[in-house]
Amino acid sequence: MEYKVEAHRIMSISLGKIYNSRVQRGGIKLHKNLLVSLVLRSARQVYLSDYYSGACLNAAQSEREANEWDITDSEREKFPSSTTECDRVESPEEPQQTERPEKEHEHRENDDDLKSDQVDCTSTLQQEQNQNSLDSVANVSSETPPETIKEPKESPSESAVAERDSTPEANGESHQPPKTHVCSNRKRSAEETESGDSPQKRIKVASSDAEGDEEAEEMDTSNVSNLITIFGSSFSGLLSKDGAKPESETEDSGQICCDQMLKNLNPWSTAIVAF
Amino acid sequence: HLLLGYTDVISTVEFNQTGDLLATGDKGGRVVIFQRETEVESGEYNVYSTFQSHEPDFDYLKSLEIEEKINKIRWLPQQNAAHFLLSTNDKTIKLWKVSERDKRPEGYNLKDEEGRIKDISTVTSLRVPVLKPTDLMVEVRPRRIFANGHTYHVNSISVNSDGETYLSADDLRVNMWHLDITDRSFNIVDIKPANMEDLTEVITAAEFHPQHCHLFVYSSSKGTLRLCDMRESALCDKHSKIFEEPEDPGNRSFFSEIISSVSDVKFSHSGRYLLTRDYLTVKVWDLNMEKGPVETYQVHEYLRSKLCSLYENDCIFDKFECVWNSTDSVIMTGAYNSFFRMFDRETGRGVTLEAWRESSKPRAVLRTRRVYTGGRRRRGDVGVDSLDFTKKILHMAWHPAENIIAIAATNNLYIFQDRVNAENL
Repeated sequence: MEYKVEAHRIMSISLGKIYNSRVQRGGIKLHKNLLVSLVLRSARQVYLSDYYSGACLNAAQSEREANEWDITDSEREKFPSSTTECDRVESPEEPQQTERPEKEHEHRENDDDLKSDQVDCTSTLQQEQNQNSLDSVANVSSETPPETIKEPKESPSESAVAERDSTPEANGESHQPPKTHVCSNRKRSAEETESGDSPQKRIKVASSDAEGDEEAEEMDTSNVSNLITIFGSSFSGLLSKDGAKPESETEDSGQICCDQMLKNLNPWSTAIVAF
Repeated sequence: HLLLGYTDVISTVEFNQTGDLLATGDKGGRVVIFQRETEVESGEYNVYSTFQSHEPDFDYLKSLEIEEKINKIRWLPQQNAAHFLLSTNDKTIKLWKVSERDKRPEGYNLKDEEGRIKDISTVTSLRVPVLKPTDLMVEVRPRRIFANGHTYHVNSISVNSDGETYLSADDLRVNMWHLDITDRSFNIVDIKPANMEDLTEVITAAEFHPQHCHLFVYSSSKGTLRLCDMRESALCDKHSKIFEEPEDPGNRSFFSEIISSVSDVKFSHSGRYLLTRDYLTVKVWDLNMEKGPVETYQVHEYLRSKLCSLYENDCIFDKFECVWNSTDSVIMTGAYNSFFRMFDRETGRGVTLEAWRESSKPRAVLRTRRVYTGGRRRRGDVGVDSLDFTKKILHMAWHPAENIIAIAATNNLYIFQDRVNAENL
């Protein structure tokens, strides 16, 4: 299990690097961020490879894990339509915000996926896990070879995407599309008005959003087929959330933020697209 | 053996084609040019000129600072009395003219010695101004500014053998410029994916072939080299040759991808070989053989077990340069602890040298060192754990004709000259 700890540590370090790269002088260095994200992906694969083998047994536990996530009041306010699904959506907001500015457009899709993940997580987790292996394989045919392990939490999002595209089957999904759009819009405004951030960060957020607008022609956040493409691309291995870790490190509140960050790898994966 | 103090971290070092001039660029955007004494044989290098090449800039659209750090300097071949060099930061390339003035005209009719306009009633006769010798002055003027050609950070510039064009490379694109034209640039390589999320590799270095003006090479973060022929097509996204070595599965780790990223690529003087540097090795490639390097030299293999710590402290991202000697028989690259390595290609032997100066002595000494990695420990061996990773030698240059090397160690410039002509290795 040491490699799991090691992988977890490497993931935290990588996330820290990506976060720090935002405030570095000279702008975000594409090369370094690409390398860091590759390391992060490798570490994540190792980390989750072990998890997946126990995932089917721990479906219920992972749901419990999701419930344990911190939810700040401010976040709750921003999502007045919050149901339990939305609560789970909110919880990754906090750590996500720190990674946000780099992620713009990719992040937008990730938000959608993330929310769909969590929605699925809460409602029909087990059902989807069964569907996942089939759907994810079908949908992510272009997934790069290293991504041989389909993490349960990654799959829900993929299947959610696929299902959204074709026929919404699971419970939470019928109201997903509008909610995700609403959420993503809210999330963006939430990001822009996040409290306690330095002005510098705010400027960078605004600028990265501006850049995101520039890139908007490439990425349409509401385009579901893009979401499928995202999951299909090598980069996207990072996009899915890890869902719950079997170990409940959530007891340590100091760890929670980090864990939540790790659970939501979407934000930082868009480090690359900050231009 | 000479040590020159410096105030800022040196970020690039480059000899000109004759080796009489040595240019250094630093993090503060300054360029310092050293000139070799010509009267004395094996003359020393003294400061010739200093100028501010780039200033910190700001991209208002993206709210991003643009660093003034000089990433690369390349000299143009000399065509007249003046010298020209290209210097670049992350975004803008500038062509500088370095010229000497040792005469000045005296005896103007309408101006006095200080340049003030004379009262015309005092002019009683006309004379022709004459050129009089004066103290040598070195003037540096910007002649061209090649701006707005790059969205990403410029990592390389390379002057073409045609004497008219040069290339500049950033993370995703390579542009070709004409030295006289600043408002237009020709994009010759574009590896930006339509969807940035599909990005898997970036360009890390690029160079024109020393003799063939239609060939250039660029290296990638995945450890591949691509040779492109501009005669084949206008956009050279499709390479003519690709040089890559299959990965050793036994060495796989979290950091395999990072350490395989090529940090520098250099053509040999002959144009037959390529020299590349990745994190742990330098490799020599034959242009005629794509399937792998013909020579591989371990620079600091003892770091392989420490990759995780080096990742934590960011050292794993250090970009070391590599250089050929004048006859392509020796290759050199930097390492940590102020060490640098030279490899003799004929014998395959490598030596570790240290750029070091005792504070009491004015001159630096080139010492042979050893890193202790097991076996019998000799006196003077340095343990891996006592290496100073803040003392890194990233930038260096080798005189084009003689055994003179310039080593940049953070903010110190060392110039080592092989006066005795003794063999170094």
